[in-house]
Amino acid sequence: MNKLKLIILILTVSCSISSAQEKTLFIGGIAHLGNGEKISNSVISVVDGKFDIVANLSEIRIDPQAYDTIYKIYGKHVYPGFIVPNTTLGITEIDAVRATHDFDETGSINPNVRSVIAYNPQSKIVETVLTNGVLLAQVTPNGGLVSGQSSLMYLNGWNWEDAICKIDDGIHLHWPSSYYNTGWWAEQGETKRNKKYQEKIKEIHSLFEKALAYSTSNNLLDLKMESMKGLFSGEKNLYIHANYANDIRDAIDISKLYKIKKIILVGAEDALMVSDKITENNIPLILNRIHRLPKNEDESIDAPFTQAQKLLQKNILFSFSYEGDMEAMGARNLPFTAGTAVAYGLDYEEAVKAITLNPAIIMGVDNKIGSIEQNKEATFFISEGDALDIRTNNVTHIFIKGNKISTDNHQKRLFNKYKKK
Amino acid sequence: MRIYLLLFFCICFSFSQAQESFPINGVKETFKPVHAFINANIYISYNQIIKKGTLLIQDGKILNVDSNLSIPEGSIVHDLQGDYIYPGFIDLYSSYGVKTIAKSKSSSYPQYESNKKGAYHWNEAIHPEVNSSEIFEVNKKDAIRYLEMGFTTVLSHSQNGIFRGSGCLVNLSSKNENENIILPKAASFYSFKKGTSKQRYPTSLMGSIALIRQTLLDAEWHENTNNNTNLSYNDYNNQKDLPQIFDIKNVLSYSRLFKISDEFEIDFIAKGNGKEFLIVDEIKSVGFPLIVPVNFPKAYDVTNPEDAQEISLQNLKNWETAPFNLKILSDNDIQFCITSSDLKNNKEFLTNLRIAVTKGLSQEQALKALTVTPARILGVEEKIGSLEKNKSANFLITSGNIFEQGFIYETWSLGEKNIIKQKIKHEFRGYYTLNSDQFKDYFVEISGSKSKPKVKIDQVDSMAFITKIDKDKIIISNTNKFRSTGKLSDNYIKGKYQDSLGDFHTYIMKKDSSLINKKEKEFILEIDSVVPKVWFPNKSFGMIQKPEQGKIIFQNATIWTNEELGILKESDIAIYNGKIIAVGKELKINEVFKSDTSNVKLINSEGKHITSGIIDEHSHIAISSGVNESSQAVTAEVSIADVINPFDHNIYRQLAGGVTSSQLLHGSANPIGGQSAIIKLRWGQSAEEMKIKNSDGFIKFALGENVKQSNWGSNNTTRFPQTRMGVEQVFFDAFYRAKNYKKKWDTYNKLSQRKKRSINPPREDLELNILAEILDQKRFITCHSYVESEINMLMHVADSMGFKINTFTHILEGYKIADKLFKHGAGGSTFSDWWAYKFEVNDAIPYNATLLNNAKVITAINSDDAEMGRRLNQEAAKAIKYGGTSEEEAWKMVTLNPAKLLHLDKKIGSLSVGKDADIVLWSDNPLSIYAKAEKTFIDGRCYFDINQNKFLESRDKKERARIINKLNQSKEKNKIKVTKQKKDKLYHCDTLDHE
Repeated sequence: MNKLKLIILILTVSCSISSAQEKTLFIGGIAHLGNGEKISNSVISVVDGKFDIVANLSEIRIDPQAYDTIYKIYGKHVYPGFIVPNTTLGITEIDAVRATHDFDETGSINPNVRSVIAYNPQSKIVETVLTNGVLLAQVTPNGGLVSGQSSLMYLNGWNWEDAICKIDDGIHLHWPSSYYNTGWWAEQGETKRNKKYQEKIKEIHSLFEKALAYSTSNNLLDLKMESMKGLFSGEKNLYIHANYANDIRDAIDISKLYKIKKIILVGAEDALMVSDKITENNIPLILNRIHRLPKNEDESIDAPFTQAQKLLQKNILFSFSYEGDMEAMGARNLPFTAGTAVAYGLDYEEAVKAITLNPAIIMGVDNKIGSIEQNKEATFFISEGDALDIRTNNVTHIFIKGNKISTDNHQKRLFNKYKKK
Repeated sequence: MRIYLLLFFCICFSFSQAQESFPINGVKETFKPVHAFINANIYISYNQIIKKGTLLIQDGKILNVDSNLSIPEGSIVHDLQGDYIYPGFIDLYSSYGVKTIAKSKSSSYPQYESNKKGAYHWNEAIHPEVNSSEIFEVNKKDAIRYLEMGFTTVLSHSQNGIFRGSGCLVNLSSKNENENIILPKAASFYSFKKGTSKQRYPTSLMGSIALIRQTLLDAEWHENTNNNTNLSYNDYNNQKDLPQIFDIKNVLSYSRLFKISDEFEIDFIAKGNGKEFLIVDEIKSVGFPLIVPVNFPKAYDVTNPEDAQEISLQNLKNWETAPFNLKILSDNDIQFCITSSDLKNNKEFLTNLRIAVTKGLSQEQALKALTVTPARILGVEEKIGSLEKNKSANFLITSGNIFEQGFIYETWSLGEKNIIKQKIKHEFRGYYTLNSDQFKDYFVEISGSKSKPKVKIDQVDSMAFITKIDKDKIIISNTNKFRSTGKLSDNYIKGKYQDSLGDFHTYIMKKDSSLINKKEKEFILEIDSVVPKVWFPNKSFGMIQKPEQGKIIFQNATIWTNEELGILKESDIAIYNGKIIAVGKELKINEVFKSDTSNVKLINSEGKHITSGIIDEHSHIAISSGVNESSQAVTAEVSIADVINPFDHNIYRQLAGGVTSSQLLHGSANPIGGQSAIIKLRWGQSAEEMKIKNSDGFIKFALGENVKQSNWGSNNTTRFPQTRMGVEQVFFDAFYRAKNYKKKWDTYNKLSQRKKRSINPPREDLELNILAEILDQKRFITCHSYVESEINMLMHVADSMGFKINTFTHILEGYKIADKLFKHGAGGSTFSDWWAYKFEVNDAIPYNATLLNNAKVITAINSDDAEMGRRLNQEAAKAIKYGGTSEEEAWKMVTLNPAKLLHLDKKIGSLSVGKDADIVLWSDNPLSIYAKAEKTFIDGRCYFDINQNKFLESRDKKERARIINKLNQSKEKNKIKVTKQKKDKLYHCDTLDHE
């Protein structure tokens, strides 16, 4: 520890010499680092858009003179920017207005389409999500068998280009479901095995087979095949959206058969039933929205709430998401779903991790974001109180890459206007 | 002699009735032979058997039946050698010979008016004028299907629509229609399903119910006033005295039908669905005679454990219990008939009937339900249902007891024989000596069963013979070496065979001795006496019994009173007899309960919070078959109270979220929607028991995109209104009509009794009744609304027409006109933070609740969503987060304020002495994300307990395992590979689904 102190001192000194750069200090906050650790009385410095000092205030000496700005945030909470994976946020605006839908391209296999260029950082929804502490979103196309490529985006920017955190991070494959519904809703119909399942699986086989062959050939450019090359080199993740145990097993086996390097399961409702296979293959999960109904009438009523804690016991890496109805506008509730997981047994810092460092690891950006650690990007926020609890989530300061971002939004403007009426 | 003479006249009479009037092309056949069935065990009725009796029939009728009858000369004698005769079965639910109506072409454009030409009812699903006897045609192929099951008579009707018309009672002979029809109009039929009608109305079950009620009112009015001609009402009125048979597709519809029965004083006979065991007490109290199918669920294939896990416990339990259905009905003294309806294959009928017998249904009851009961219901006991003199010669001959293992040889309908299965009379089995010009004294053994004998010829060893018999003929062959035909007479089988060279030889087999008969296995009826327990509802988390009312003091809790006392720390609350009886610090048992201090339960609630139960002002859970009657702009006549579904597991899930009461609202598909139901979530009780008694009536109105069908696709652009301009006019029009209606009735009601008798009363209109209630301030409006312009508009309409809007629900732009809302006296029930789902919610803000509340508008936060409904405590916290509302005020938004909006704040919504003991014990501050409801009480009964919930989970797991083991051992063939449960239908305001 002494050594650390020394280094920090030296660093502080060296930083103060190059005074041209913006230096900010945050003192006294309760820092949830995102990596599972918490510093109750923290000192955090940001230099040149990056975290520098991250320490316990009582353990180091700070020279306040060395900083351009100092925030005294005693008793307030500091978190790395929350990340919402697998969302149509920014590529849709109003659910009932088709003209605003830019997430579902026609056709069933579209690995080449990219959400990044359709992303609208000026969306009215985006700013309302940002102001609850969700600072990044994996903007994801939806629909068909292969819906396209997602990108990890900051929820702030002049245009899509400068809002990029990681471009084209992976391809989304919506695994066919083993089951289908029969009957109609008023008569208690049932669901049977999907007879077309095998047919669809064949389709996946032939797609992968072709893509694998293409990846080592010198053919003329094929847009779809070219976009899939990265799956075999490990440049791109393959996000497989699958929920039933059977589908999860098939998805893992088939992707491995074609030597796909990085597989992430999205949804994974039945993950606990196939946890051995998931652990064995070291596959991370992006879970369904925690605030959902149990998968059927027999399921424990709190099954969606306790799933995360049970997965943690099996050492499975997971991230939370907000996929489902009204997922774009609802993304601002992502922190509270993590809070519910805490209510049902998940360790608090692990819950924070599931919306910060874990999604960063999944998307391969944990070297620069996802936690409050030295040399990582200063993408974080300050909340008056516990940001996972609705009552106390009150985001007062937002920083993206060290830049202070406005906490205003369309809805606050209306509030301020009409409260004076 | 005299008897014969009398009989002769009878025969002549019946004969002349049937065919006398028809001209004959040829020579008249006058001889009608007597058939005499002797040596039979005859069930002359369900509870009376004659052993070794004789049955005489002639010309379709029974001449006589008794033991020791003398047989008239010239009779055709059938020696039944101990076979059984049963009265022919009667099926009251059939469409035999009545053509099913082809579905009209479906159009993607909505059809709002009837396409039926003529002076009929305005709705295509109402056609009491359909007279099945007019379209009935004898159909031999279909008749055989029934005859094979033992039916000789069916009540046939066109199974289509809501008022289906009359059915005809017919015999199943191949004679012509004139002879087969017993009663051309035997019963009148109804259902809740509109069938092939493509007309939009009704789109929901509650719409069907309203349509039935209005039609019944109109039929009566029409009869009394005779205004203009309507053939449908004429026909209905002419059928009122017939048995009224109603098709129930869902057991929950028994109580729905009962309400109609009660209101219009109609005695119905209900055609059930085979799951009556689910609510047998309710059915018993309703008292309808039933027509019940034996459509037991097929066994599930559970060999794949993962698949088996996906079968719902409900379906598993139903599979196990359904075969006990008839026994349970019988044990409860419910009168029932059995129908072969609802079976995929007619072979299942006898199989399932026998299963029902092994599950404890008495054979006598079974036979009664197939013969006398249906005959009695239709008033035709004189003709059918038992085997007595002069009744129709409708009976079946079986090889043994039909409820055990006897099979049907013949079914006779109207004295006409139908062979169902050949009777094997000839006994081939025995030991023979075979001789021919090639074989000498070969030893032959014919063994096996009587109908499928096996042949062994000693010196033609190890060669398997194929043996076929047809009456006295026998074919014995093996692969090309020996192929023979023979005939049995006396003790010989004589015949020919062809050898491998193609030469024919004659052979003779002499029977040396009969086979030493191995005793045929005697049938022993084994009755499964363990009737499975039925839970309420019969699914996961179902209740076994109604929870007791607690006599409890919760001690040392933080108590959110919602009263002037505010939030009390370290305080106690006592409940007894379903009410709160004390709130305060350190309550003393003897002070609280006076002398009656026995059995008081003390619950240490240190560190915990107690609140009144959450009230969801806007919910769509627990509703059957449609939340929207989306067909017309005004549907005030429909009511959610008619279609409450107490089996919805979302009730239990929401109890676990601390919800105790909900307003179940109609959807928002039309400007004036239907009436709502206000319930307490009394899990495990019936729909009626869930309703809050004596609560004010409410109705749903709606504005904006939904009512103008903005998001219904491009084919729905014709229903008025399509713009907000039109919406206003719909309200003006409806309330002008309502005012005139009220005036008409007020004038009429003021008349003297004498005057009243001399004139026609005005027509009663269910829709206008409800609108008149609004004008009389006896019914209150909850209006779905978004943008400020439309909210303002409706308040103007209301002010000008003299009514008030009780509550604007959603009201997402309410904050823009909060002052106007307050002035009008309207409350607001809003979403905490929903927006961006359609164009009209672009200015919705999560600060709305706070701004409304600050403007003194009574403000609630609601769910409109089954998932959010179980986290309303969290949603209330959003008023704190966004608007800065205090915790106490925020909490009232999901408790006291909705109680006020529902006019129930005198009973529920806060914790004060005398109020209902609807309380929740929370692990933490209820507004915290970390809070869990640990116990939820309604009327002092604990309906959810977090520990009990764990017990139920393990109970359900054991129950599942037990039934799966049973399924695994079941030898039933063709098990269904159904693998997963259907996803539940969850309703929002916009849900438009219909049939």
